[in-house]
Amino acid sequence: MAAQYENLSSDLIWQISRKNNSYLCKRKQSGGVQFSRDPLNLTNKHSRKYAGFANAQAIGINADSPNTIGLTTKLPARANKPAKSQQTASFAASTPSRKLYKSVVNTTAKRGYRADLRAAAVARASAVKLAQQQKKERAAPKPRGAAARKAAESS
Amino acid sequence: MSRPTVTIIGADGAASQNTHPLPNVFKAPIRSDIVQAVHTGMAKNKRQPYAVSEKAGHQTSAESWGTGRAVARIPRVSGGGTHRAGQAAFGNQCRSGRMFAPTKVWRKWHQKINLGQKRFATVSAIAASSSAALLLARGHRVGAIPEVPLVVSSAAFADGALKKTSQAINLLNAVGAAAEVEKVKDSRKLRAGKGKLRNRRNVQRRGPLVVYDPTKDGKELVKAFRNIPGVETCDVYALNLLQLAPGGHLGRFVIWSSNAFAALDSVYGSTTEPSELKRDFLLPQNSVAQPDLNKLINSSEVQSVLRPVRGGAITKRSVVQKKNPLRNKQVMLRLNPYAAAYAKQGLGHQKADEKALTKDKTFEATLHEN
Repeated sequence: MAAQYENLSSDLIWQISRKNNSYLCKRKQSGGVQFSRDPLNLTNKHSRKYAGFANAQAIGINADSPNTIGLTTKLPARANKPAKSQQTASFAASTPSRKLYKSVVNTTAKRGYRADLRAAAVARASAVKLAQQQKKERAAPKPRGAAARKAAESS
Repeated sequence: MSRPTVTIIGADGAASQNTHPLPNVFKAPIRSDIVQAVHTGMAKNKRQPYAVSEKAGHQTSAESWGTGRAVARIPRVSGGGTHRAGQAAFGNQCRSGRMFAPTKVWRKWHQKINLGQKRFATVSAIAASSSAALLLARGHRVGAIPEVPLVVSSAAFADGALKKTSQAINLLNAVGAAAEVEKVKDSRKLRAGKGKLRNRRNVQRRGPLVVYDPTKDGKELVKAFRNIPGVETCDVYALNLLQLAPGGHLGRFVIWSSNAFAALDSVYGSTTEPSELKRDFLLPQNSVAQPDLNKLINSSEVQSVLRPVRGGAITKRSVVQKKNPLRNKQVMLRLNPYAAAYAKQGLGHQKADEKALTKDKTFEATLHEN
């Protein structure tokens, strides 16, 4: 945090905003589950570990278009320059999954950038990729019984 | 440590060569509890007294019928010839009775808040406005702005440079606040509840707060900005907590004019230099010098006084499933080192000697001696 005094830390930000923030989605059902709409949250859970806005380093994996997977990371040195504080990369939905996971891990966890999020990042990349896969059309059902006989007769 | 600096953004939205050191007020402790408590008090200070009519529910000459008429002893409207006669009156449970505890105009509408607390809350809110994370957590769309705190060169405002709303919109677009204004515009909704009937018909989000220095920037910009939804303007010499932390939530998106930004040090002083404009005011001190818990835990001061980890790399697993030594050989060996030799010699398979031990002849005699 270059242009900032040392009166702020991610711990303090979390303490201030954990009760209520713009990303928080509180539900009364299921024992009051709390989710997060933060694009930099890998699990969509409202928690200190996954909160993208509160942590200096965070990873976001989202579908940035119908057929590309976007990988966003925060640049801690530019925390006070919102327009330039994120690094983005994009992968085609056709990228093989092993290659995709490898790219995600190699650019983040393997370099010591939020190594604790390795599994969550791979899981989310996998989920986004799965969601972008083209659904195969189901084959038309083969006629059976009376319908089959009828079809054979007519042909 | 040299003081951090902030780039001054030009009227075209591009960073200029000029920078300004971050005023000391941004070093103030960020205390959401104080801000919330002061905000609750201050929010009450604009209320207008209201009350029901003093006479409401009492404009009848009802008297209780007393006991013996098989009806409740509540006052009842006297007379006859109308349905109203004989109906219960006055009580809060009665139809067209008075309300319970009728509201009075002399309710305590306003809250006195200590000046020190108000000033603390204000500087706290200003300090919080310098964190991009808190702006995002408050819901401001600041993804496109070049820097937080956002300081725009006063050349964009001074000498009537910003007179028209179109110019103001251009400035907001240039500094990347377009998304924020758009969000406010889209957020305008009909208010839920009775407020609709009481001249508070719509609700909308709050947008950026433009802070200016009226002595140098002039006041034309107020009129330029006032018709843009959600955008508020404020004089740097009269910053208001209700604008800096709406709803008591820290992290308002503030656009400072460079003159206003420069004035902050004279308005609030520092922790050692008293403020020039506020009598007997020093900025509050942070109660901890290092708010980052990880840095605190990993600091050499803390690490040097911790005792070393016991057991080294191999730690004993204390709670594990108990194994049956009769079935599990390894566990048996751990408990009974002799078990290996015992099994090897096949001692467990040897028959015990059939013959009973021959007793010593003197044994029985000795036994029965006493």
